Amino acid sequence: MGFADQDKEIIELLRKDANRGFRLLVESYSKRLYWHIRRLVILHEDADDALQNTFINAWKKIGEFRNESALYTWLYTIATNESLTLINKRKRYSAVSIDEIGNYLANSVEGSTWFDGDEAQIKLQNAILQLPEKQRIVFNLRYFDEMPYEEMSKVLNTSEGALKASYHHAVKKIEEILGLI
Amino acid sequence: MKDIADKSPFKVPENYFEEVNKKIIASTAEKVNETKPEGIYRRLKPFLAVAATVAVLILLSYTALKIFKPASITGKIPEISLQEFSDTYLNDIDILTLEEGASAIASFDGVYDVSDADIIDYLIVENIDLNDIYEIL
Repeated sequence: MGFADQDKEIIELLRKDANRGFRLLVESYSKRLYWHIRRLVILHEDADDALQNTFINAWKKIGEFRNESALYTWLYTIATNESLTLINKRKRYSAVSIDEIGNYLANSVEGSTWFDGDEAQIKLQNAILQLPEKQRIVFNLRYFDEMPYEEMSKVLNTSEGALKASYHHAVKKIEEILGLI
Repeated sequence: MKDIADKSPFKVPENYFEEVNKKIIASTAEKVNETKPEGIYRRLKPFLAVAATVAVLILLSYTALKIFKPASITGKIPEISLQEFSDTYLNDIDILTLEEGASAIASFDGVYDVSDADIIDYLIVENIDLNDIYEIL
């Protein structure tokens, strides 16, 4: 079953029985959204918080959901916003500069209890963390989630052309950092 | 670069997704139950709040008017007859005491009886030389 068919089934069930529909929505999307959030916030504890907030907000706003956008992009938008809110909160309350946050996140990759990557993966994650925030989101959505630019444009409210350029720059930067070019 | 990312570098606790799904579904179900039993107080709450605000404003305006409104603004001094004035305001006054005071004031002519001898005694006691008085006069 593709995303579109699955979304259709969830939406129909939401109309008939909101609780059962929402249960199916959570079961279908929790893993995908968790990994999207985790790649942005890095720490499991933060990702756990942001994931729960994402679904609680989705539940609150489910009445506002229109079929104009796919359920999939709608949920990714909420999850991205929750992740950014959490990152910004961390910036505000820890009273450290953006560079320091980057270093903190970079160290967290290696220091996190829930990190199990080999050396190459640590290098890649650290390289991604050196990208500007928006570029990092674009790179993650395209590279790991393989999200089409058309969908990404709806999630980030940015033109497809700008997203393509942003991704291109992100790849170049990462390759430079990894010493691949 | 693609080969590197094929495996997720992050770990999650065992059974994390099963647990978090249950937690999310339970927390949203609680929110539904919290909102369902909408009693009469909950429904009337906004109206009660508006009514209370209006009542407080009226009370405040009335009190402010009572305190700050000058007497001239009222424009009228209540007219009462002499009899009413007497009955209302003079009832509590002891008329006898008032009359005694009045007669004492009326009988006082301003100068008590003092003889020349008394004056001379006074001047001697105060050691005032009579020649000084003549000079001044």
